[in-house]
Amino acid sequence: MALEIVGDILRLTVLAGLGIAGILAILIWKKNLATKVTFLRFIIQAVSVAAIFYIFTYTIPLLYVLIILLVMTLFLGRFFCGWLCPFAFLMDVQSVVRKVINKRYRIIPSKLNKALHQFRYVLLLFFLLIPIVLWFLEPPPNTDFAVLMAQVMAGPFRPYSIMLAPLIPVIVSWTTAPLIINGVNFSYPYVQDILTWAGQDIGQLIAIVFVGLTLAGSFIIRRSWCRFCPTGVSLAVVNRFKGFKWAPLLHIEKDEEKCTKCGVCKRVCPVGVEEVYEQKGGKIQTSQCMICSRCVEMCPYEDTLKVKLGKKTLFRSRNWLEATKINEEKRKIEPKTH
Amino acid sequence: MNQKPIEKKFMPDISKKEMEELKNAITLASQKIIADNIERMKKADPHRPQAMKYFDDMSDLFGSRQKEIAAEKEKGKKVIGYMCLFAPTELILAADAIPLRVNSGWYDTSKLGDRVVPVEVCPVIRSTIGAKMIELSPFLEQSDALISVLTCDGMTKLSEILGDYKTIWGMNIPKIKDSTQSLRFWSDEIKHMKNQIEKFTGNKITRKKLKEAIETSHKATKAFRRLQDLRRGSPVIMGRDAMLVNQTYLWDDKKRWTEKTEALCDELEKRVQKKDWVCPPDTPRVMVTGTPMFWPDNWKLPTLVEEANPQGIIVADELCSGERILNDPIGVDEWSMDDMLNSISERYLMASTCPCFTSEDGNEDRINWLLNKVKEANIQGVIYYVVRGCMLYAMEYTRVKKALDKINVPVYYLDTEYTREDVGQMKTRVEAFLEMLTARVDF
Repeated sequence: MALEIVGDILRLTVLAGLGIAGILAILIWKKNLATKVTFLRFIIQAVSVAAIFYIFTYTIPLLYVLIILLVMTLFLGRFFCGWLCPFAFLMDVQSVVRKVINKRYRIIPSKLNKALHQFRYVLLLFFLLIPIVLWFLEPPPNTDFAVLMAQVMAGPFRPYSIMLAPLIPVIVSWTTAPLIINGVNFSYPYVQDILTWAGQDIGQLIAIVFVGLTLAGSFIIRRSWCRFCPTGVSLAVVNRFKGFKWAPLLHIEKDEEKCTKCGVCKRVCPVGVEEVYEQKGGKIQTSQCMICSRCVEMCPYEDTLKVKLGKKTLFRSRNWLEATKINEEKRKIEPKTH
Repeated sequence: MNQKPIEKKFMPDISKKEMEELKNAITLASQKIIADNIERMKKADPHRPQAMKYFDDMSDLFGSRQKEIAAEKEKGKKVIGYMCLFAPTELILAADAIPLRVNSGWYDTSKLGDRVVPVEVCPVIRSTIGAKMIELSPFLEQSDALISVLTCDGMTKLSEILGDYKTIWGMNIPKIKDSTQSLRFWSDEIKHMKNQIEKFTGNKITRKKLKEAIETSHKATKAFRRLQDLRRGSPVIMGRDAMLVNQTYLWDDKKRWTEKTEALCDELEKRVQKKDWVCPPDTPRVMVTGTPMFWPDNWKLPTLVEEANPQGIIVADELCSGERILNDPIGVDEWSMDDMLNSISERYLMASTCPCFTSEDGNEDRINWLLNKVKEANIQGVIYYVVRGCMLYAMEYTRVKKALDKINVPVYYLDTEYTREDVGQMKTRVEAFLEMLTARVDF
């Protein structure tokens, strides 16, 4: 009984948090405070971590979550990666820590960055192939179709679960988490899958190396995992192919004439997208872009970059010096007097 | 100050007496010209904004600001002059030194410069050499070191010639600006400059100080942009006044300049509400682009345009002595030392529209700037101002003309010299252009 009340309170808190985040989001839109986008994103990320933690307290079929994500991507681009992903939130928190101790991030050379972005397809393929290889190595004894399908979906052959690995919050609510300290269950993206695939002995080692590398990597390089995240790519393939390029309603648009090519957008981009700098106006359609809107926020020229949802402008680069107090009305030229 | 052993490589020996005579004569003439320029600006706008008074005082090169700097120098502050906008003023500010731009606008000294370099050379360079020869320019005399950015041919050799007198720090600027290796090269140059400034002034540039300097320049940019924005609408301020305000930034105290400019903008905003225009709103709106125009002498084009009959008004410009000074803020992502230096180097290299650059698409940024300004400020005609000998600007004219022809905005190529002799002829040309613009408006 008491536990249920606690559960209700928790549920209400999460709902309230989501509500507050929504109100803040609307406020920031309405007041056009483009400078607060990073702040807003941080709130939404934190809330989404709470919400996802909440989702994981139920046993929801992960396949549904994946389908929802893919459908969302079709219309919103990689919005999930930029604004909701808990693993990305962890990396952003690390960036904050790095900022506090005044250490600068490293910049990956653009060639390597592009190679990493290609590498994610290999990684995706690898993740998808593991279960098949395992299945061939250890063929199931029963060849009855129904049983086979049941095994495929339930057993080790469930590739979609690894697609959702970044969704796993660091603190999880289930009790089969890899690490339990003082009754709190700690998890880490991919670790559970590594343990499942590689077995406990060698899996432990791989998991430790993996956790160490990603933690160190995202401390030095902003959003390092996002550059080759297989989940990201599974979302990105939707935007990558020409047939789908029209689909994402949420996108960044650039006005070439207003751009002076100062290079700020390229530098502030956490995943090193260069298209926003190099492209000559129009929609930024690269599948690397996570629509985190950092470039829009930092662009010093009014209206050069815009985040658009369909035809509606959500944010526009409104020079962050807030120089313009004069509205369009006053800027108009008086009609002829004679 | 330990002077360098004087072994002049370029400069001719000039007798003390001649120098004194020339200096006194030109100083007197120049003071008269400054007063005359201000007088004409006052006449053009009978109720000039009150806040302009400060800038009038500041515009006197031989007046209060010079004394102020002398007093600061007594206290042990260093003055670092620079000749191109690429010099990182934030670093100079962070090292507790005073940045001053020392290019010369005196017509008379350009004749003196002919003794060192041929007449074909850009008069800005010749005039600066002449000013140094007779020690005319107070700011050039006061600067302890000079940052010379090797942009055009003139600047490159000017730094060598002025090396006869001063410590010169050359900054090697890449000509292709949007490649990674150029940026790396330029960042190294900026870092080197930081070390040199630190060593020279004896003040370490700390993170806190640099942040403060960048924030100072952000505030200045804010005020600057506000002023330019006010020019975009119906005319509330004469173009000359705004251009003078822009230019005083080059030698004024940055914080004080920001305050005064904000005050000016407040006053102008009230005028916008009252619809109190300085000239009829349908006056032809002109943009000036090309060679920089330096106060005090080289003020003839703005004066001609705004005193012509029919009158025109300069509502925008693309000059490195004008709107380009503070147009681009320094976009700092994270306030760490490395990132600040990186953003400084990016701002100075990549955001610039100087014609000394080229790239795959040529100097496209400049074209974009012009097209955007034409649209934003409702420009009706562009005057392409080039002094004879300014190769880079002259050579970009064709491209600019083609681009502007496409959007049906007339461009007028006006070439002149550092001389007063062609004022009458220029007047006819400018008036013809303005008349054509008025006819287009009526049409």
